[in-house]
Amino acid sequence: MPSIKLHPSSGSSRAKAPNSQTLPNPLPSLLQTPTGLAILELQGTINVPTSNEDEMTDSPNPNAPNPASTFETPIGKLMFPDYSVHNPDDTKWMKRAYLYVGRYQRMTGEVKKLPRPIAVLQRHQGEGGGEELEVVEIVRYKIFFKSRPEPVNDV
Amino acid sequence: MATQDSRSILFTHNRPQQGFRLLELTPELEELLTSKDAPTLELKSPSTALAQAVIDPSAQDYVNLCTPTKTYRMRQVQSSNSIHILRPSAGEISKADIKVVEEEAGDEGTLNLPDEAVTTIAKCSSTLELHIPPGGFSAIPFLEKTLRLYDRRNDDNGDIAMGDSAASLDPLDAADMQKIREAVCVDIPVSQAQFEQGWMELCAFVDAGEEVACWRPSARARLGVWRRLVEGAILQGIDIEKQFLVRDLWKSVLDEDEAAEPPFPRPLLEAVVRRICVGDERPALADEVIWASFDKVECVQWVGETYLAATAPVVSSAIGRSEFLRAWKDCLPESWRGEAVLSKLTNGCYKSPDPTTIHFVEPSQREQTAKAVPTGPAAAKAKNTRNWHELLKGRR
Repeated sequence: MPSIKLHPSSGSSRAKAPNSQTLPNPLPSLLQTPTGLAILELQGTINVPTSNEDEMTDSPNPNAPNPASTFETPIGKLMFPDYSVHNPDDTKWMKRAYLYVGRYQRMTGEVKKLPRPIAVLQRHQGEGGGEELEVVEIVRYKIFFKSRPEPVNDV
Repeated sequence: MATQDSRSILFTHNRPQQGFRLLELTPELEELLTSKDAPTLELKSPSTALAQAVIDPSAQDYVNLCTPTKTYRMRQVQSSNSIHILRPSAGEISKADIKVVEEEAGDEGTLNLPDEAVTTIAKCSSTLELHIPPGGFSAIPFLEKTLRLYDRRNDDNGDIAMGDSAASLDPLDAADMQKIREAVCVDIPVSQAQFEQGWMELCAFVDAGEEVACWRPSARARLGVWRRLVEGAILQGIDIEKQFLVRDLWKSVLDEDEAAEPPFPRPLLEAVVRRICVGDERPALADEVIWASFDKVECVQWVGETYLAATAPVVSSAIGRSEFLRAWKDCLPESWRGEAVLSKLTNGCYKSPDPTTIHFVEPSQREQTAKAVPTGPAAAKAKNTRNWHELLKGRR
């Protein structure tokens, strides 16, 4: 059975994702990675309308950079209420994070250091046409929402 | 509300979603992957035939992650949580959609929309975890099934015809052999270093007699090489404890009248030399052994075990202890005879059905008895694990 190569992260992968390079990363600096990738874990699932239906009812913003290729659906807002850009070394803020889903539901969570770092792997075609994997990023923290959403007033 | 002042980040779902896998790293792997010249790793699984021949009791279909020197078993662990992969986004969403997140406009008619956004580009429901089973990984069981058995003694016509060397193909150079070994290694789900370790342990060799093939010599064949080698060294005055040229040793092995047909292929001699030479001087498998000197302790042990494996491989063929010790001594050069005592053999490599007899225990059988002991700490370890598969396994 042919073995599958797993390449360490290279500069090339960053070049492939120009969006994440040019955009400012709004996450607290602890959660920022070179590629901009971060991990958010939550209990349950977020239901997003399925693609076909959605595309018919909602037209994507014509001003979006690549209207044909990507399309974003708003889910809610992410907040780190105790985080201050002026004091990024203080890690107390990690204890509290909010995820608003829609306007009336809120999940309370925290930022956790992963017990073991996680490599984010992506598949691509190798030189010989075979499948290969690449470590795109190594993530060391996650935003974790383990409790169920609670109803809130609109903020 | 206190939260009102803090910065909020718009959270969106991106389409199309991308495919990612999450791999939990061990500290060593993290170090390896973040090092300056990080090596390319490999995901290996045995060929279908090998998977059937070498059954792993702990897993049926498996994939091993191999670094140049280490092997890890990969296990997919499902999560009931959803794990999203986020990246920064321009947050370009349609005005109609904003209502999902914010009231359309505040009193002043301005949108209260966060100006920064992250978007989820993938959702994973599992992570890949790595572990090393208690026994570790070895290439030997796979090599034993892959390589052809070379069992020709130099004093008979051989059970397997290796073909006359007169009709042999051009001798292979080191690069050819390396290529052939690599082709074997592809199907063996362990790291390159562990593969080479196993290859060397078995004295495996590539030979281009009638056809190019990879062989593993039987204990009998290895013992034959050793005897011939000691004989030749004595006749030619080669001191095997000091550095000698492997080329000279090969010449000493050949009979003068037999020069056209060597008693065994030269790569086999080299494989044996590599196996018992002084560890620090052992060249990489890719390099030729030019100089060598034998390590007395390693050598005596190897000869004893090889002799036992050749003459008393199973209980039913057990031989007398004193007979074994005498024969072992007879295989060694004169000055080493005193070294041949049972305590020099690897722990567990022999068993005595009764106080006067002895027989060899195959490494594969040895491991099982050795494995039975450390289950205690391993079981205790499982209790501390975060993985409920392991937790439940212990309770069953």
